[in-house]
Amino acid sequence: MPLAALAVAGLLIAGAMIFLYAPEDDLQGQVQRIFYIHVSSAVAAFICFGIVAGASLLHLWRGGLRADRLGRAAALVGLVFTVNTIVLGIIWAKPIWNWDPSQTWDARFTSTVVLGMVYAGYLMVRKFAPPGPQAMRLASVVGIIGFIDVPVVYFSVRWWRTLHPGTVLGAAGGPALPPAMLYTVFITLIAVLFFAAVLVAIRYRIEWERDEKAARAAAASLELAQSPGGPGERTSSLDWG
Amino acid sequence: MRFISVALAVAGKDLRSEWRGRELLPALAQFIILAVVIANFAFDLDLTTGPRLSPGILWLVLVFAGLVAFGRTFAAEREQASLEAMLLTPAGPTAVFAGKALAAAALLAVCELVLLPAMAVFLGSPLSPLVFATVLLATVGMAALGCLFAALAAQTRARELLLPVLAMPLWIPFVVVGGRAVQASMTGAPLNLQPLAVLLDFDVLFVVVASLAARFVLDE
Amino acid sequence: MTPAVRAHGLVQRFGERIALGPLDLVLNSGERIAVLGGNGAGKTSLLRLLATAARPAAGRLELFGLDAARQRDRLRARLGYVGHQPGLHPALTVRETLELFATLHGMGKEGVGEQLEVVGLGRLAGQRVDRLSRGQQQRLALARAVLHDPELLVLDEPDASLDAEGRGLLGQLVRGRTLVMATHDRALARELCGRGLLLHGGRDAGDPWALRLMEA
Repeated sequence: MPLAALAVAGLLIAGAMIFLYAPEDDLQGQVQRIFYIHVSSAVAAFICFGIVAGASLLHLWRGGLRADRLGRAAALVGLVFTVNTIVLGIIWAKPIWNWDPSQTWDARFTSTVVLGMVYAGYLMVRKFAPPGPQAMRLASVVGIIGFIDVPVVYFSVRWWRTLHPGTVLGAAGGPALPPAMLYTVFITLIAVLFFAAVLVAIRYRIEWERDEKAARAAAASLELAQSPGGPGERTSSLDWG
Repeated sequence: MRFISVALAVAGKDLRSEWRGRELLPALAQFIILAVVIANFAFDLDLTTGPRLSPGILWLVLVFAGLVAFGRTFAAEREQASLEAMLLTPAGPTAVFAGKALAAAALLAVCELVLLPAMAVFLGSPLSPLVFATVLLATVGMAALGCLFAALAAQTRARELLLPVLAMPLWIPFVVVGGRAVQASMTGAPLNLQPLAVLLDFDVLFVVVASLAARFVLDE
Repeated sequence: MTPAVRAHGLVQRFGERIALGPLDLVLNSGERIAVLGGNGAGKTSLLRLLATAARPAAGRLELFGLDAARQRDRLRARLGYVGHQPGLHPALTVRETLELFATLHGMGKEGVGEQLEVVGLGRLAGQRVDRLSRGQQQRLALARAVLHDPELLVLDEPDASLDAEGRGLLGQLVRGRTLVMATHDRALARELCGRGLLLHGGRDAGDPWALRLMEA
């Protein structure tokens, strides 16, 4: 897959920029280099879950396998990026917050954790619900409501308190970052998003193969039941939904 | 009109069944008292730490009592296949869901009427009308979401496992805002009705969302 | 005249297992059909599809000329279903059960008392459902299914635990309606139905009425 190779190359370039090109942060030192991947992962995770919500909505509205498959693929990839975001965030924050819970659980961290939980729930519903249209419908409901909930969590915690380092990019009075850092941010963001898109595509393919396999197995069992020379006609479609 | 009479009939059915069977409420009341006793010893409460930690205890107990109450409402119907019989009428899944959620919210409200006095007596938590109002307002939205996910989880193989996983992350806004309101009230901060307004917003939002989603969860 | 049931290529599938179909079935208004077959033949799957309690994996189903997947609420007013389990609320009384369903159907509660007399439960109106015998529960489930006077009645082994009198009642309740009934009891099938559908492995294995005629 040339796209996968391209995605890896993009990540390598981003990595080189993070460690070789971007200057060391005056205040936080080397640990600040986590920031590039942390932020990019978070963006990728949120976009993935936006896709899940969109696909869920589409599935409930129009039905069909394709939207649901996209939801499945994006949820898994999104969950990986969420975990990545949280772990990197914790490593980054360790020397700065020193595990003080009153600082740790700010709006962004809380809503990211909730996001991860919601989509772990989405995947669990798929696992435990009766397979087929029911699993798709129930998971879609979780995908949509979860997506609505995350901003609500964000704003409720922000209303409660906010001690996160304020928005670094595009703050009032122009970007506060030196240009070298800014370039690194954008290159890393593009590389990570492209990587995530490729992962979703690969996962979509795997899910597609699974669906095909199940449909083939069902068709085969149908053939077996068919009496030779019987009047039974094949149904046009054995797809779910 | 039709919607309301169906919802009330279903809610009445659930409450009447609970009154006759007396299965859930006594167990929940016992759970609540035990949780308060455990909290007392686990936190080693005294006059200063009591009011400080009470809000947290309140919300923890409420969340877990809610999980039990909401999980039960759909699990029992599922076992008896009686939910399906109601859904196969032209009444519509949303009205049936509204009735079930109404009954579950009422049950949780009764639990709160046990919990709050128990906390006042055993933990010395200062109570005020604001605390009651906050908790009741949070109950509405929590019941809408909790019942929706209870209905969803009841259709899966692992309903006891799935309900907390699904419901608790979605309840966090209620706990965050309600927690702050109760905290302020119990530590004697000046009266502030803003949290109640925020809770009311959440209620409206999630009641609407849950009723829209109910059709997809219940219509098999 | 539009047939009461028209199914084309109906398939029900659970995972990789095909439980039913593809099946074609046309049932005219007023016809009564017995669905026969061994365990796992697909009888319940078919009945649940007809009762709009499940959605088909493939194929088309029309009831009274309406699409069963899209117009469920309208169809449900016109069909009555008694499933494998009676599906009753154990803590309600007999009367409360029917009153609840009268409300769910958007009807008044006046007909409830009369309905109870018809199924022979008038005496037990104040009794809790979980104190009834299995046969009495089945009668209540039947009474509930015909409460709104449905045109199509879908019954899954209704003879289970019914006594002789109860079977007579069954004959009375299905009168004037289109009936789809799954049963293992050939005598009852012969008594109530005019045609049959023999399912085997989820597929139509012929009309037993025809098969029997061949034997004779």
